[in-house]
Amino acid sequence: MALSDAAQTRPHAGLGRILLFAACMPVLVLLVLPSLIIVPMALTKGDLIQFPPIWISIHSFTDYLGDPAWVTSTALSFKVAVLAVAIGGFAGATAAIAMHGRVFRGRNFVAGLIMSPIVVPAIVLALGDYLLFAPFQLIGNWIALAVVHAMHVTPYVFIAVQTSLTVGLSTALLRSARSLGAGRLSVFRFVYWPAIRPGLLAGGVLGFAVSFDDVVLSLFLQGPNTVTLPVRMFTAIEYDLTPKIAASASIFIALAVLGLAVHSLGARGRTAP
Amino acid sequence: MSDLSLSQRGGRRLDVEGVWKSYGSQPFVVRDVSFALEPGEFLTLLGPSGSGKTTILMLIAGFETLSRGKIRVDGRDIAGQPPEQRNFGIVFQGYALFPHMSVLDNVAFPLRMKGVGMRERLRQAGEMLEKVGLDGLGSRRPHELSGGQQQRVALARALVFEPDALLLDEPLGALDRKLREQLQIEIKELQRRVGVSVLLVTHDQDEAMMMSDRIAVMSQGEVIQIGSPADVYLHPATPFVAGFLGETNLLPGTCCGLEGDHVVIRFHNGELGRARIPRFGGRPANGDAVLASIRPERIRMLKPDEGADFFIEGKIVSRTFLGRHTRYVINADSQLVVASTTDCSESTTLAPGTPVRLGWLSEDAQSLADKHPRRPSKVVQPKPAKA
Repeated sequence: MALSDAAQTRPHAGLGRILLFAACMPVLVLLVLPSLIIVPMALTKGDLIQFPPIWISIHSFTDYLGDPAWVTSTALSFKVAVLAVAIGGFAGATAAIAMHGRVFRGRNFVAGLIMSPIVVPAIVLALGDYLLFAPFQLIGNWIALAVVHAMHVTPYVFIAVQTSLTVGLSTALLRSARSLGAGRLSVFRFVYWPAIRPGLLAGGVLGFAVSFDDVVLSLFLQGPNTVTLPVRMFTAIEYDLTPKIAASASIFIALAVLGLAVHSLGARGRTAP
Repeated sequence: MSDLSLSQRGGRRLDVEGVWKSYGSQPFVVRDVSFALEPGEFLTLLGPSGSGKTTILMLIAGFETLSRGKIRVDGRDIAGQPPEQRNFGIVFQGYALFPHMSVLDNVAFPLRMKGVGMRERLRQAGEMLEKVGLDGLGSRRPHELSGGQQQRVALARALVFEPDALLLDEPLGALDRKLREQLQIEIKELQRRVGVSVLLVTHDQDEAMMMSDRIAVMSQGEVIQIGSPADVYLHPATPFVAGFLGETNLLPGTCCGLEGDHVVIRFHNGELGRARIPRFGGRPANGDAVLASIRPERIRMLKPDEGADFFIEGKIVSRTFLGRHTRYVINADSQLVVASTTDCSESTTLAPGTPVRLGWLSEDAQSLADKHPRRPSKVVQPKPAKA
């Protein structure tokens, strides 16, 4: 019965395919187009960001790389993201390990607390952080900014590591390591570490993007010397509409594409025998 | 004689003495279990799931703490030692191989933990892999191996550091029947060569019979009977043991006295029959409720002129052809009796509805005390501690 049904739907498979394509294509276009539109805009001859661009010049790129303010902002964004991922990675991974396979009262509450930076609107967090840090003169301090970003990175790492622990770690594995003579350190090194590594990597990459992307938190906590790249782009859009915005964006699109390519090549290398 | 041959083998003596285990305020999952694993012996804890057998294994390994009792290795109490300081090779149900390590590194792991140098531990691991028939596969990852091969890696890893005993927790459960039987033979053979004592946990009675020197039959956290496979099969101590190891018919009756090695039983249909006095457990007294346990393969379907020590009449209810034998279910005096026969020729096959006469020898009937085989599940407190 079910078999004959399946056989009957088969002739319509062609139509189904077309419908699926028709439904998916707009989504794909919407996902990719904004990224692609930025690149030609960076190649404009003009002094304003505009579409369609006035063909063709690379002066926006040289302007961007030649402007100390923009370069400093870019370096700062990297610095903050790296520190945020380091702190958030440590906090998220250790929290996931600590909670793995453990049942205790208030477990859901603790998990909810760790996840809350994703759920609570960024503007609320930003205001809270501003009010918290202002009395300590920490507004404009890049380490304080990294700590706030780390809070946002933590839930991503927590979730990713939790998932890879569920997949890669079992009581039997822990017990067998111990029965073979492994102490605490060896258990971590040979059982936990390999199990959390993929999650830590995925969560870290995601967290890096979250930190590097952030406008709201960085806007509230900025000082004269701590303007991250997204904040600088945002203010530039408001004031001078310089094509440096498009140039810096294009460079990061290129970096992201490169990163994805390296990752997929690496994945292919791993699955090949 | 057997004592001498045992002491010449490797392994250490493991004593489990009066061990109890409960979790919090819950009823005991292990109740007053005692047994000894002799050096070089293969002992099996056999029981249905939830009978506490795996808990005992984990208590020995150190992953669970004793509520009461002692566990000794060569007379030394090991209660205070964490698992990593105890010296047992354990094979877990899912093998628990390290997925990111090569097969050779997996086997070398326990040696590495003991501080054996790289070259030496790889040599020993390589030798061990050879012993389990996996030479040449050392550089593979565990997931590239078949289930049976992974099983052998787990065995090699558990044996390479010369453990005090090998603890196997349902090690063959995930494998198909044919491979399971093959590995049973291999493990037995390997144990003979390496000379290690083995404690196996299983619910598979065939596996227990096939591999063990002795079997401890467990139910509800207790060891009901411990003995050689022949002992527990031929001389079960309780109806539970008789029913759990193979199939049996239990015919209820009343004890009407003893005659030599036999109990005279009046069955519920009024007939008198005889059954052997139980070798384990007490002798029944006059008037006691007893059960006669007769294995299906010991019940014969008599031809008209044939005799037996005892017989009953009935009608065939069903017939199942099982290859090696044919299994009949017979309704005799409104009790269902199972008989199996290896005579599978078509001319002697009997159709359902055919009246038959069933007979057996007194030698083949075992009398058992007719108590409920399972104790009522109430909370049992451990005995007061000896001062």
